[in-house]
Amino acid sequence: MNMQESEINEAFRAEVREWMAQHLTGKFAPLKHASGLGAEGYDAQLAKEWEQELAKGGWTGLGWDVHYGGRNAPLSQQVIFHEEYVRSGGPGRIGHIGETLLAPTLMAFGTAEQKARFLPGILAGTDYWAQGYSEPGAGSDLAAIRTKANRDPATGEWVIHGQKVWTSWAHESEWVFVLARTEEASVPVASARHAGMVLLLVPIKQAGVEVRPIRQITGTSEFNEVFFDGARTDGALHLGPVGDGWKVAMYLLGCERGASTLGQQAHFRYELDLIIDLAKRNGTARDPLIRQRIAKADMGLQTLRAHALRSSSEDTPFRVASVSKYAWSNWHRDLGELAMDVLGEQGELELKEPTLAALQQLWLVSRADTIYAGTNEIQMNLMAERALGMPR
Amino acid sequence: MDLSLNEEQKMIAESAAVFLQEKSTTAQVRKVSETEGGLDRALWQEVVDMGWCSVALPEAAGGMGLGWRELVLLQEQMGYHLACVPFFDAVIAVTPLWKALSQTEQGLPVVERLAASGQICVLGMTVRGELPAGATVKVEGDQLLLNGQWSQVGSGSHADVFLLPATLPCGSLGLLEVSAKAQGLSVQALTTVDATRSSANVSAVNVSLTGAAVLMHGDALKKLWVQTRNLAAIGLAAEQVGVADRALNLAVDYTKERQQFGKAVSSFQGVKHRAAQILVKVETARSAVYAAAFIADTAGDATDLTYFAAQARTDAAEAALFSTRESIQLHGGVGFTWEFDPHLFFRRAQAASQRLGTVEQWREQVAARLLDESVTEAA
Repeated sequence: MNMQESEINEAFRAEVREWMAQHLTGKFAPLKHASGLGAEGYDAQLAKEWEQELAKGGWTGLGWDVHYGGRNAPLSQQVIFHEEYVRSGGPGRIGHIGETLLAPTLMAFGTAEQKARFLPGILAGTDYWAQGYSEPGAGSDLAAIRTKANRDPATGEWVIHGQKVWTSWAHESEWVFVLARTEEASVPVASARHAGMVLLLVPIKQAGVEVRPIRQITGTSEFNEVFFDGARTDGALHLGPVGDGWKVAMYLLGCERGASTLGQQAHFRYELDLIIDLAKRNGTARDPLIRQRIAKADMGLQTLRAHALRSSSEDTPFRVASVSKYAWSNWHRDLGELAMDVLGEQGELELKEPTLAALQQLWLVSRADTIYAGTNEIQMNLMAERALGMPR
Repeated sequence: MDLSLNEEQKMIAESAAVFLQEKSTTAQVRKVSETEGGLDRALWQEVVDMGWCSVALPEAAGGMGLGWRELVLLQEQMGYHLACVPFFDAVIAVTPLWKALSQTEQGLPVVERLAASGQICVLGMTVRGELPAGATVKVEGDQLLLNGQWSQVGSGSHADVFLLPATLPCGSLGLLEVSAKAQGLSVQALTTVDATRSSANVSAVNVSLTGAAVLMHGDALKKLWVQTRNLAAIGLAAEQVGVADRALNLAVDYTKERQQFGKAVSSFQGVKHRAAQILVKVETARSAVYAAAFIADTAGDATDLTYFAAQARTDAAEAALFSTRESIQLHGGVGFTWEFDPHLFFRRAQAASQRLGTVEQWREQVAARLLDESVTEAA
């Protein structure tokens, strides 16, 4: 990085900080530091208005090409935005599934009509998307999905039957992208596990779709079960070729596992700083074992950062990159346990003070980190088989 | 922070790997550690001739002018191949002192003489990397008389020259160059559990020196000592990454060959998951070491290296301990035998975990910075 670049980036950093200070205030003040649904002050309606405020400020689609309405900002600036957003107390993003998962997949596989129809709503923070991948019998083994979709010969519409689960935000979203099996005659080898799939863009608010929120370990509901009983969507709303849905779905998952890691660490830093402040205040900082764990957590975060930087270069061996998800998710789960031990006796009570409540939430929510996007066990199989060449 | 290796760095790492794979086989390591006291003289001479010892010295002092990133790549390979040469004690741990010395008019010729000679020159520090207490220098006529003890000095039994810290008559700390052959200096070799590396007790009784033997002194030396310890810790961490990586590879290779219940042991999930957990520790520790070396090279003296050294050191020590223990376990019964190699790496991992301070001590240093009101850097 040369001097001129770093000056531009410093200016950008200051710009983000200033904008956040000016806008995350007034009616949006309750959202400050609220990590997501279930967190104190996180009201879904307000969170959507906040997305629109961000859009007006030009902070959505930061990395998108200019002709999609984005800013084409380099990765370094996207990371700076994430960092400063979190440092300023920016709330969990209700629009992130649309913006960071679906949009890049639309850009890669969508038709001109699909892009023109869906990208502006995502960019403006007016359309929200849910992810219809997992099913009761298909979690880490996603290829085992059974939801079926076939075209109605009379209308040409897709008709969907089946069930999805762990569908984040479905009860707050307008659209869901659904991975389904299709038996269309044009599709070859529909019986093979990865063949015969289609990724559909489906409106949620219709008679054939029933959304049932799942009460989670946190006591609140971000996930849902979604039942499709003859749900319909336009015959042209499949993303990528019919039968090739698996490839499109995997591309989308790649977006999930990719660039957000560096920004996520800014949020981890915020959480760890809450723990350090609390430990100083309540005296646990003098406990020799707690001190060791705090120091370990702090250096562990620095290591995650170093590893993310080492993994981000183009010619990174798979062996290096394969370690990332396992490393950060387990680090974060440990952090949740440390948070509770630093809370000590207080941790037994349901806490109202926002930063303390956030630490309890961290303890509970982090139990999901080692399960979603490939469980610990799946990650270990992947590393053993693909990085170390051990047999299946 | 760009942590990918550039072409030159890749070449350094690869050529070191190829060279040591041939010269430092475990058969050779066993032979040298059982019969030669842990020093492969021929290998050391080749290492000297290739210029590896002066990689990070300034060109003005006859070095290559490269940095800590290049040094850690070499040291990682030294660990991977358990090379029986005192690269850590006589290169990594003294390079920061030599770099500082080479910037002074009086120091430059000393560095040129010592660095180019191929002599083994080691630092009289405690196992934990602290300054030994109690050694003194007094003045008698135009002579200096050195008295004191330096116990468990790494590679001390093979040293040609010692750099010994002692308190000067003025009360400040001084670093003295003392030949291993100096009259009154005795070097007593110790038997080590990790026989690939030697150690010795060094004591001085009225060793007579001239004023020129005092290479550095005072606050400058104290400050440099902290820097030296931090940089050495990053180098040692690289060695531990190499040790951890090798122990993992030994285990993976063995479990691919070993059959039980009609299939390779490596196909069992219990085995695969253990190997994957080791991989996570090895690769994250490697990232931590590269980051620390990057900071060491680019941030200059102003940056407090202690944090990054602690990070690299604790990650790498834990990776090496975990990997070598698990490697024995994954080898099953033969892992407990002398004949198979895991114990060689297990011994090195354990011995190295005590050098320059334990994981807990490094963590406490960081904890003090994060959690306590005022902390001053102590040597």
